[in-house]
Amino acid sequence: MQEREIVEKLEASFRKVFNMNTLEIMREMTANDIDKWDSLTHMLLISEIEDTFEIRFKLKELNRMKNIGDMIDLISEKMQ
Amino acid sequence: MKLFQCIKQNKYIKRTIHIIFLLATVAVIDLALGNLLENFYFKQKSGWLYRTTYALNETTADLVIIGSSRANHHYHPDVLSKSLNLTYYNAGRDGSYIFYHYAVIRSILKRYKPKVIIFDFIKTGFKPSQESYDRTAYLLPYYRSHPELRDIIETKSPFEKVKLLSRIYPYNSMLVTIAAGHPALHSTRDGDNEGFIPLLDKWNEPLVSYKASPCYDFDKEEVRIYESILTDCIKSGTRIYVVVSPYFHKLATPDCSVIEARKIAAQYNVPFLDFGDSEYFRNSPQLFYDSYHLNENGAREFSALLVEAIKKEESKTYASQSNLDQ
Amino acid sequence: MAFTSFNFLIFFPLVLVLYWLTPVKYRYITLLFASYFFYVNVKPVLALVLFSVSAAAWGFALLMSGTRNERKRRTYFIVNIIIVLLPLVLFKYFSAINNALLKYLTEIGLNWPLPEMRYILPIGISFYTFMALGYAIDVYNDELKAERNPGIIGLFISFFPLILSGPIERAGNMLPQFRKAQSPDFALIATGLQLILWGYFMKLVVADRIGIYVTSVYNHVEHHNGTSLLFASMLYPFQLYADLGGYSLIAIGCSSILGYRIIPNFNRPFFAPTMAEFWRRWHMSLITWLTDYVYTPLSFALRKYKVWGIVCALLLTFLLSGIWHGATLTFLMWGLMQGLFLSAEALLNQRKTLAEKKYSLEKKRWYLIAGIIFTFLMFSSSMVFSRAATFHDALLVYHKIFTEHGPLFVGSPSTMIYLGCGLILLIIKDFLDEFYPHRIKLFNNDNSIVRTMSYSAIIIIILLIGVFDSSQFIYFQF
Repeated sequence: MQEREIVEKLEASFRKVFNMNTLEIMREMTANDIDKWDSLTHMLLISEIEDTFEIRFKLKELNRMKNIGDMIDLISEKMQ
Repeated sequence: MKLFQCIKQNKYIKRTIHIIFLLATVAVIDLALGNLLENFYFKQKSGWLYRTTYALNETTADLVIIGSSRANHHYHPDVLSKSLNLTYYNAGRDGSYIFYHYAVIRSILKRYKPKVIIFDFIKTGFKPSQESYDRTAYLLPYYRSHPELRDIIETKSPFEKVKLLSRIYPYNSMLVTIAAGHPALHSTRDGDNEGFIPLLDKWNEPLVSYKASPCYDFDKEEVRIYESILTDCIKSGTRIYVVVSPYFHKLATPDCSVIEARKIAAQYNVPFLDFGDSEYFRNSPQLFYDSYHLNENGAREFSALLVEAIKKEESKTYASQSNLDQ
Repeated sequence: MAFTSFNFLIFFPLVLVLYWLTPVKYRYITLLFASYFFYVNVKPVLALVLFSVSAAAWGFALLMSGTRNERKRRTYFIVNIIIVLLPLVLFKYFSAINNALLKYLTEIGLNWPLPEMRYILPIGISFYTFMALGYAIDVYNDELKAERNPGIIGLFISFFPLILSGPIERAGNMLPQFRKAQSPDFALIATGLQLILWGYFMKLVVADRIGIYVTSVYNHVEHHNGTSLLFASMLYPFQLYADLGGYSLIAIGCSSILGYRIIPNFNRPFFAPTMAEFWRRWHMSLITWLTDYVYTPLSFALRKYKVWGIVCALLLTFLLSGIWHGATLTFLMWGLMQGLFLSAEALLNQRKTLAEKKYSLEKKRWYLIAGIIFTFLMFSSSMVFSRAATFHDALLVYHKIFTEHGPLFVGSPSTMIYLGCGLILLIIKDFLDEFYPHRIKLFNNDNSIVRTMSYSAIIIIILLIGVFDSSQFIYFQF
């Protein structure tokens, strides 16, 4: 899957979980930049992403994600 | 000018000056406020603070009552003063412990010789407690003016001398009490009757019974102070009575501090009058204000009983003295 | 030795001088000795427990990183966890479990004479155990390299400013700092002194004064009316904030003077408009520890249950938090209530967001204030359980608050006045810091005279109305 497609699908997941229809994600963004993204909603997001892309994360991998850019890279890695 | 520039630029010197300036400012404010507080403290004409000052510095009564709140509320002047024909002052203070009591006695004996001192002893009087040391704080304002009390005050903690470098420290947490006691406001306070404060409510809860409890280790310092109270009075020729006043409770075993206190009193031939487990008072809740204090009626009745007991002691002594004469 | 004892005022400057005189390479040794000296002053034998936990943490971390065999690593990890947790469980919970077991056996008729254990709880064990656990987990997860130097690990776990009441620090933050042992820095020293001063103010003037009133009410729940109980219950959160918050500031300040940066523990929690936000501001070091090491793995494992997985993880995490605080039913209940509040918020979040958008509530000031008040009420209601002596007392408090009203117990008017002054000062400062930061600068003013007068004022206030000993205790005569 191409990175652009990943970003589109990822953005859709974000919008769905956080109920923000106009949200635009960027590689440098972190949980600090999105109001509804906190420890209470994080796993909801992760679960949604796993369902959307049909992949499974490991906890260690999650702990290493520092921003959305890392997330995109990790997803694309898993899709290969 | 060059030196000034040099100082201004040198960080270390600048900061040291700042620190010195801070310490100096604190010291000056501390001195000023401390003196102000001291001034107003000793201008009191009523209230606890005034009564402590009066007991330590001014009273010359023939009969002085020493102790805690129980002393303050149980020994009725109308009964004691009249029946024993002695001038009376009640130096009991709420929340005070044996270190405070000893300090009052020491100050009094330094100034004059009362005819009789009644020392109200409380159950668990020798039980170790941090509070008995902490409440020596009542004496802090007198540290500077009463050298004879300094060693007692220093039992509070090893660092009292250092803390007393601050002039405010002795008056810690007394700001409101001192302000409320300003002579201009003094008429709004309840008066006392020669230091005695009557309690006016009646108690209506049931009697509490306590299970037998093992004896505890005594605080050696408190036992020593107790002995000093007895010996100091004897040495000065004052007649001292140790009294345990009534409680509204039932103990399965007698309190071991009371047993020890009685033993020591006997060693020095000091009369020990124990009303602590009096059944009459245990059956009379209407004479109590709470489970720990008699109300005014209770104080009257108890004082009357005490007078009888004292008179009996006196005639015993007199009789034994007459026997000696013969 | 507590921060508020005079001994500490002598101990700390001495340690400071010794520390700066020690060559940089060996400074951690000076601190290590100072920390053990500090701890031994409580009860020597308990220092052995501290030592054992540190030794286990150091040893097993090295074993874990010394092998690539996954099974071996896991075994070392599990043994490590067990050994580190064992003293905490034994000391804190054994007697509670023992007593509960005893009671149960008696009730069903088996009078089995179990030994009555009466251990003294090693001070700080809850805190240093968590720090040691965090280190073990970080090494196991390859987040951190195992430290070879036992002295550094020993210091990390016993570091005297933190050992009594936290903040609960992480090896990742502390180990590099201990290795470097930075030289004295004026800015850090000045900041440290400011924090210490304000910390003493919070503890001595606010916390201990409120404590006198709250104790006199909560010690006699049966005899006080609902009005007094309500008032005391609403004061209690402030007491805790000023107590633990003040203590944390002193800890952070002392560390700062020594040159170490410590994570903050409180961030003006009472201005939080939701419970979720509250827990991002209250006892932050504990919450982030629990989040990173308990909640995240749990919610990850349960993620396929979506929001119910979150709820379950929340409840378990806060139950654990309750147990960590105390080995009693009341603390468990307290923890459970926190979990329930947060779960409720999580479950209602979607609907709440919709309502907020529809009526653009987020901009409205009254909505913010309502949120703050509601959050405070939720928190203080749960605190009844943590303050009450028994479960029964707590229920009695609730019952009386709703049924038995009457005149407010004042006890000692001067206590109320000092309490009011201290609390108002604290609230004003926090309010300004929260909503108008940098507007009014006192401690941080550029003018040294303003700074000096501010410091002096606080010192004098502490001397005037700080609680220095138990002579302030109010007798409640009922």
